[in-house]
Amino acid sequence: MNKLELSRALDIAEKIRKKEIDEGEVYDSYVKKIEKVNPSLNIFVDVYPGKERLQGDSPLRGVPIAVKDNICVEGKKITCASRILKSHIAVYDATVIKRIKDNGLAVIGTTNMDEFAFGSSTENSCYGPAKNPWNKDYVVGGSSGGSAAAVAARLVPMALGSDTGGSIRQPASLCGVVGFKPTYGRVSRYGLVAFGSSLDQIGPITTNFCDCAYLLNIICGFDERDSTSVKIGAPDFTRSLDDNIRDIKIGIPKEYFGEGLDGEVDSAIKKTIDFYKEKGAEVKEISLPHTEYAVATYYIIASSEASSNLQRFDGVRYGLRTGSAKDLKSLYLDSRKEGLGGEAKRRIFLGTHSLSSGYYDAYYLKALKSRRLIKNDFDRAFEKVDAILTPTSPTPAFKIGEKTDDPLLMYLSDIYTISVNLAGLPAVSFPCAFTKGNLPIGAQLIGREFQEDTLIKLGYAFQESTDYHKRIPELDL
Amino acid sequence: MNNFDTVIGLEVHTQLKTDSKIFCSCSTQFESPPNTNICPVCCGYPGVLPVFNRKVLSLAIRVSLALNCKINRSIYFERKNYFYPDLPKNYQISQYKLPLGEDGYIELPSGKKVGIERVHMEEDAGKLVHRGDCSLVDFNRTGLPLLEIVSRPDIESPQQAYEYLKYLKLILQYIDASDCDMEKGSLRCDANISLKPAGAGELGTKVELKNMNSFKGVRTALEFEVRRQRKCIERGDKIFQETRLWDVDKLKTSIMRSKEEAHDYRYFPEPDLLDFRVSDDIIEDEKDSLVELPQKKKKRFVEKHGFSEKEADIFVTNPWLADFFEQTLCFHGKCKDVANWLLGPFLEQVNNLEDKFNSVKISPENFSKIIRYFVERKINNIGAKKILALSIVTNEDVDKIIEREKLAQISGTTELEKFAEEVMEENPKPVKQYREGKVQAVMFLVGQIMRKTKGKANPGLAKEILERRLKQ
Amino acid sequence: MSKKKIVEYVSELARIRIDPQEKECLGNQLSRIIDYIDKLKELDAEDVIPMRGLHIERNVFREDKAGSFESKKSILDNAPLREGDYFKIPKVIE
Repeated sequence: MNKLELSRALDIAEKIRKKEIDEGEVYDSYVKKIEKVNPSLNIFVDVYPGKERLQGDSPLRGVPIAVKDNICVEGKKITCASRILKSHIAVYDATVIKRIKDNGLAVIGTTNMDEFAFGSSTENSCYGPAKNPWNKDYVVGGSSGGSAAAVAARLVPMALGSDTGGSIRQPASLCGVVGFKPTYGRVSRYGLVAFGSSLDQIGPITTNFCDCAYLLNIICGFDERDSTSVKIGAPDFTRSLDDNIRDIKIGIPKEYFGEGLDGEVDSAIKKTIDFYKEKGAEVKEISLPHTEYAVATYYIIASSEASSNLQRFDGVRYGLRTGSAKDLKSLYLDSRKEGLGGEAKRRIFLGTHSLSSGYYDAYYLKALKSRRLIKNDFDRAFEKVDAILTPTSPTPAFKIGEKTDDPLLMYLSDIYTISVNLAGLPAVSFPCAFTKGNLPIGAQLIGREFQEDTLIKLGYAFQESTDYHKRIPELDL
Repeated sequence: MNNFDTVIGLEVHTQLKTDSKIFCSCSTQFESPPNTNICPVCCGYPGVLPVFNRKVLSLAIRVSLALNCKINRSIYFERKNYFYPDLPKNYQISQYKLPLGEDGYIELPSGKKVGIERVHMEEDAGKLVHRGDCSLVDFNRTGLPLLEIVSRPDIESPQQAYEYLKYLKLILQYIDASDCDMEKGSLRCDANISLKPAGAGELGTKVELKNMNSFKGVRTALEFEVRRQRKCIERGDKIFQETRLWDVDKLKTSIMRSKEEAHDYRYFPEPDLLDFRVSDDIIEDEKDSLVELPQKKKKRFVEKHGFSEKEADIFVTNPWLADFFEQTLCFHGKCKDVANWLLGPFLEQVNNLEDKFNSVKISPENFSKIIRYFVERKINNIGAKKILALSIVTNEDVDKIIEREKLAQISGTTELEKFAEEVMEENPKPVKQYREGKVQAVMFLVGQIMRKTKGKANPGLAKEILERRLKQ
Repeated sequence: MSKKKIVEYVSELARIRIDPQEKECLGNQLSRIIDYIDKLKELDAEDVIPMRGLHIERNVFREDKAGSFESKKSILDNAPLREGDYFKIPKVIE
């Protein structure tokens, strides 16, 4: 089944349709590979050994897909990599899961992540960190680190992740795959365990833009169970799979190329800019002046919403309940103490504080205003350009344990991805180079709201002329 | 004799009349077995999201209009964060900064105007049942749609508070917004009360009262509290701003176990629900279904139909009856006739029905026939009552009943002359008594005619004929 | 409020018990983070309208129709402690 590793999901589906291969055999071969590789890379949380009967049809029918451990699959474990949900089983399918099942995809298992999506390295997992298939000593990024690594290691042709501040794009960048965050409201959040309700979006992680477009077609669309999903019709994203990008205007924000940016990443992005110039795109410098406030703004809003969203984990109706509760208060205090990890506690504390009496105006309300200013920056920029190109992450993958002592340091590494969620815009990370040490480097494209098509076009054009996305890590088991 | 002003404000929570909950489609069926009207959404499961029930907005607007509130056109929900086992998400989706309705008023029957500060929507919590060594939680009620109605502190006495509650309930029932059954828990009331020296501008310290389970209970609790606060003031003791629980057995209020932590609810706008624009259309729709409110109806019944205030009150407190009255009036236009029959025999019979007005099936048209035939003397009093009894729960056609039961009144003079002659012959004594001056004796003879005709004779006419003959 | 008091107050609000050692560590980490987010104080946003999210839709409603969740049983089955058809918790004094 080595050929499968080189194939796009689309090609696998075609082979299945032409009966050149059997969908059951495809599934089993992936399960076998996962079981072989997982002990050393810790990418998957749960694997489903038996393939369910496939229903429905689509150009992706028969393709196995992995799902981040915070998306509900009925009857299966959903733990968000947290002790507090360690033995919880989902009682319903998330809307995106319904859609991928109705289109004939085979959900193969759930992937490792930072607990409740709090993190940028998948080190905040109750299962221990996932390891980067390009180099086991390095992180996979986070919080959808498992999903990104699974696709990179070719353990599965495609995966779903969730992105609140970069959680699809940053691990995609660190693992060398395509990670797409749609416009806020494109994809239903029903069944996604909420972190930052006004920021979260589910999105596809694939090796290439073709598969990405097909998967987007399946998961996008209004859902009556999610009042924040939009009724704006989702176009056929596969129509953007053409490489004529002449005259598309690309903006380069000057604030994204300063201190803290790794030298190799800087060069890689510059080369990518040159590529687009050669292909006929118009490149110009733009400014996003409120960038310096983005991290503070994001962490206030995201943790505030998270602190409230996580209040439901209290040991009363499901999940971990402390064994030692003598009274109601202790039931809460100790179930949550025992069940929640360090980063979860930090975020909840930060968020609760930001919303509390006397601090609401200075923190939460102020952050909402700052958010408006950040969005205005983008609106102004998009009057002049059609897409914005930036590094995804200031550095390539870092060593496991390197940043765990200083939470703030970890937060600051989200600087390039975070504003996108605040503004609700679509964005994608794709591999644009490799470091001397053979670690992937990702470039990020940001688009106007609901203009995913421009990003797909630009990404597709890049991949038609390069083959960074075709490189496969040699798994050192 | 010390002069104090009592200042009372009331906070009422009422469950709006919908088939499904406010943010999920679970049934609102009362008294379902525990934990049967539940789903992941109302049980705060991971990954769930609320979706707003359109009917709740309609009813809330209807109530706000009935209470003369200004309606805010762009509204949103907020999260009220606190931990309690009957609150699955450990936050309640409610409204805080911007309620749906504001600055309204109710005009009580006595003429007193009580301001309505705000009307807002929120979700209900579940139910706790306490056992010896544990507590049990039932989530059926979690997510029921509630409307919170807060009055201004304009109420001046416990009795007035009672009137306010009764009238508010009447309005809510009139416009079909709520069942308002305190026993079923579809209406709850908390009160705030303070005393101040008569005529003083500044308000005293207010005390919150909870745990009253009936309107009378509210009144009694407030009466107790007035006495208690008065005694405190007279003794020179301080009145603390606190929450007190009404004990319906001991008939007194006592301090609620104080909560150690501050009520820091950390309100913030609900990110899972967007803004709702209250359009002109929705408001017009609700204005249209806003029935005539009690005070207006009373005025109209007095002025247009000529009822006394007391009679009008009967109709006002029974909107069904008022409707039935006016519909019957369409078929038989004489107000006095319809009123007599409705307020008399009809009400009498309804009181004997198991489900009262709900059991009544007779149509206004059918009912009007009974009245018309009586007035036209086609049937007599006894006959009419019998027909009503037979048709009130069946709506059987009145004409058919009359034919079948042979209830047509005997009003033919010839026939009655014959019966009169007969009874006079058979009963010489009363005849003699009448002719000797005892005029009441004729009633005995009328009774005899009624007996002979099995109640079908027109008694008035029979009496006329007898008197004429007796006088001969 | 001192950072120590903040940790105690928030621990109470968020219902998460914190050991004395944790209190020290968490306090320091939060301190550092809060000092950083205080950056927002420099921002002049007097007349700026707060942005709650990229909200396009308004008036997303549900019709008032009662339905029934198919797997109700699983909700009760998930109760950590149960008595009959109720969720069981330590005695609550109201």
